[in-house]
Amino acid sequence: MNITTYYWERIKGHRLAMSGLAFIIFLILLAAIGPFFTVSPTVVNFDEKNLPPIGFSVEQSKFSSEAGSLITTHVRGKWEHPLGTDGMGRDLLSQLISGTRVSLLVGLFATGLAIIIGAMVGVTSAYFGGIIDNILMRFTDIMMTFPFLLLLILIVYMFGSSLTLIILSIGLTGWTGTARLVRSETLSLRTREFIMASKALGASDFRIVFHHLLPNTISSIIVLATLTIPGAILAEAALSFIGLGDPQVASWGNILNAGQNDIQTAWWIAVEPGIMLFLTIISFNFLGEGLRDAFDPKSE
Amino acid sequence: MSMKSYIAKRLLHTILIAWGVMTAAFFLMRIGPHSPADKYLATLGAGHNVSQVAAAIESRYGVDRPLYEQYFTYITSLLHGDWGWSFSTSMPVSDLIRTHWVYSFQLILLSSIVAILLGITIGIFSAARKNTTADHITTFFSFAGISIPNFWLGMMLILIFSVKLGWFKTYYDTGLPMFSLSNLYALILPVMTLATGMMAGYSRYVRSSMLENMNKDYVRTARAKGLPESIVLRRHVFRNALLPVVTIIMLDMSGIFFGGAYITEVIFGIPGLGWMSLKAVFSDDYSVVLAVTLIGAFVTLFFNLVADIAYTYLDPRIRYE
Amino acid sequence: MESILSVENLKTYFFTKKGTVKAVDDISFDLRKGELLCIVGESGSGKTVTALSILRLIESPGKIIDGRIILNGRDLPGLSPGQMQDVRGNKIAMVFQDPHSSLNPIFTIGYQVDEAITAHKSVNENETTSKSIELLELVGIPMAKERYHDYSHQFSGGMKQRVVIAMALACHPEVLIADEPTTALDLTVQAQILDLFLELRNKFFMSIIYITHDLAVVSEIADSIVVMYAGRIVEKGSREDIMSNPLHPYTKGLIRCLPSDHGEIVPIPGTIPNLINLPQGCVFHPRCIHSMEICRKKRPSLNMVKEAHYVSCFLYGDNHE
Repeated sequence: MNITTYYWERIKGHRLAMSGLAFIIFLILLAAIGPFFTVSPTVVNFDEKNLPPIGFSVEQSKFSSEAGSLITTHVRGKWEHPLGTDGMGRDLLSQLISGTRVSLLVGLFATGLAIIIGAMVGVTSAYFGGIIDNILMRFTDIMMTFPFLLLLILIVYMFGSSLTLIILSIGLTGWTGTARLVRSETLSLRTREFIMASKALGASDFRIVFHHLLPNTISSIIVLATLTIPGAILAEAALSFIGLGDPQVASWGNILNAGQNDIQTAWWIAVEPGIMLFLTIISFNFLGEGLRDAFDPKSE
Repeated sequence: MSMKSYIAKRLLHTILIAWGVMTAAFFLMRIGPHSPADKYLATLGAGHNVSQVAAAIESRYGVDRPLYEQYFTYITSLLHGDWGWSFSTSMPVSDLIRTHWVYSFQLILLSSIVAILLGITIGIFSAARKNTTADHITTFFSFAGISIPNFWLGMMLILIFSVKLGWFKTYYDTGLPMFSLSNLYALILPVMTLATGMMAGYSRYVRSSMLENMNKDYVRTARAKGLPESIVLRRHVFRNALLPVVTIIMLDMSGIFFGGAYITEVIFGIPGLGWMSLKAVFSDDYSVVLAVTLIGAFVTLFFNLVADIAYTYLDPRIRYE
Repeated sequence: MESILSVENLKTYFFTKKGTVKAVDDISFDLRKGELLCIVGESGSGKTVTALSILRLIESPGKIIDGRIILNGRDLPGLSPGQMQDVRGNKIAMVFQDPHSSLNPIFTIGYQVDEAITAHKSVNENETTSKSIELLELVGIPMAKERYHDYSHQFSGGMKQRVVIAMALACHPEVLIADEPTTALDLTVQAQILDLFLELRNKFFMSIIYITHDLAVVSEIADSIVVMYAGRIVEKGSREDIMSNPLHPYTKGLIRCLPSDHGEIVPIPGTIPNLINLPQGCVFHPRCIHSMEICRKKRPSLNMVKEAHYVSCFLYGDNHE
């Protein structure tokens, strides 16, 4: 049995992790093919604003040109907009799908960037030790001292809030945990026999780092990456929610921000993206926990 | 190493990092695409003497002087408690902070008490019933609590309890005493919002720490002595399990301060540091944003130091080394 | 001499996800008053599980399935948890393998010895303290009065084990179980601890079950010997019987492993079998040089070959289940 099959067998038994994985696959499919089946998320139609989802009806005050005054009407959900519309009549389903794309992009790229920087800093620090280790780790300490969200707000405030910049800032500020982890794992590996042996055989530093040290920390990195993704997604959503997101894209946080103002009249705008966000984060957390258990030789 | 020299070393490290933080903030300020003046001037309408204001700001920040001199002035004024000038409110940033921090502190204090008490209780309950249905249910809800975005939770609480049920119609009123009944009532939803995630996290820490300690040999020794199970759990499992939890809670504090509390304040309109800082962001009040970020870093440093020292006091292995 | 503790047909199984581990499978032996009984076997032979079963300290997923453990006429598995708690430390005390982890690092050793006393006797604080110091002196801890206030990490391995022994002696137990008490210690310290056991036995005429894998130790101290293999007893008898006239091929193998003046050390080929998938018939047959047809088919029972010398092997007499 090869090693991948072995871990797959172990994680298959973890019910929560498998349901998390299933939801993540669903999200990926939704982001990939969803836009082909829905209307554009940016089409504005004030005649159909604040439509509730299918199966719900609400009372709304509308200006009637015939009566010349405000009248109260019952508004029901329509199949053209199964999840309803927002205050500008934009379709929520297609906005949520667009938000799925944004969140997955943020999760993937910001985490990828953070993990790469973190792994490089960590392994360099541990492998070379001494003054290099000292400088890198003190720098990591300084980075860690800034509260994550505040640092993001400051950077986005200073440099503007495009999605690319948000992803970059999350990646550039979120690597410290990985650096610490990779450093400590590498340190404990560095003194192990097989590293000593390859050193004695004259392997180059580069070879030792990339062929021996990093591959041996990979399981920890995978777990950490899985648990970093929800943090990155949440950071983007939080920024967008407080109004510092990219105004050009429909992200879950942006929709929530709009929904906050309409919570009295159109509750679904605030409820729907939140459910997506919550399920996404819990899925990654479940998967990460399952992976941690699967990789942990101590757990049965 | 004696404990005194250990603490001295930690203090030195903290000072070093604090200096690094200030330096980093200084350079962040300088590499930003705007000078503080530009940002503020852009918000000023016609009718202001732009060049005069600009000159005032420039001389205040000393951006016309050489870099090392600016750096020196910056550090010394920070150390003297001069955190800059808030243009949007026309008062020193330090005064602004002095007015607003108490509201953050109150929210965080109440949430922490709730979260720590409930989190520890749930954690012990869960560990004592390991792998039972009760444990599985609490584990599931802990994951939900950790995963639920607190700004969404806050909105949902408002939607359910204020909009639909109409139970909470009052808002936090700074005109009333902080601990007046009306204000405490207004704080119920915010505290629930902030405490949920903390509580869920702590219950997980406590559970795993308890379980780890239950397998320790000295627990078996205690049982072999003939101690009752309740004493074994309380004395030999819980006390030891609490040690890492205390540290984790301390280290967590600063994240709570400037992550969860920030957004909770914004949602519920509590005039704490987070609320103030976001208002500053939207009125382009640069020095306030920077000051709150710096305070966040200093609070983190403080709690790291406290956690370290607390650990040395609590763990005799370190205390007597 | 009268028997103080009898184990009859004890079965302790562990129900794991991968299958049932028959850690102890139908064993019986007697401990007489003042006797030093050694249980010998490789790791995984069920020695420790036997000891923990006697004290009913087996934890989930393990369970005592069957059998009687009779201490002075009382059947221990039939006792209520409260009654059993009164037996632990009071009537039967245990010393564990690793002294480094047997003591709780966050309490002073004095406190932990006190605990062993107060768990069963209500005495005032001063009396407890002086009793504890007395015990520490008895087990040979120099300056016991001062060291009473120290923490376990301030002691060497041998000294820690002395503290654990002091705790075990606190209530003058009728039976002392020592589970490989010297394995984790340096060679010279091992000899000192061993001497301490012999000294205590002679002083208090205690009944001791001494668990070890080290036959050299056994040959020095034992009155009688029980040899275990894969959860079963393969041979038991007096020290003379076992050491000078071993019958079971496994016992013979063990004795050949001892370094001696003449001849070489002959290791037993193979390893202890997987306890989930035990071989059919005699569990030792895959490693046995005398293995016969019947050994693969039937499980031999423990039969008496001469006065108080039992062996479980088809080589000796008609042995059928």
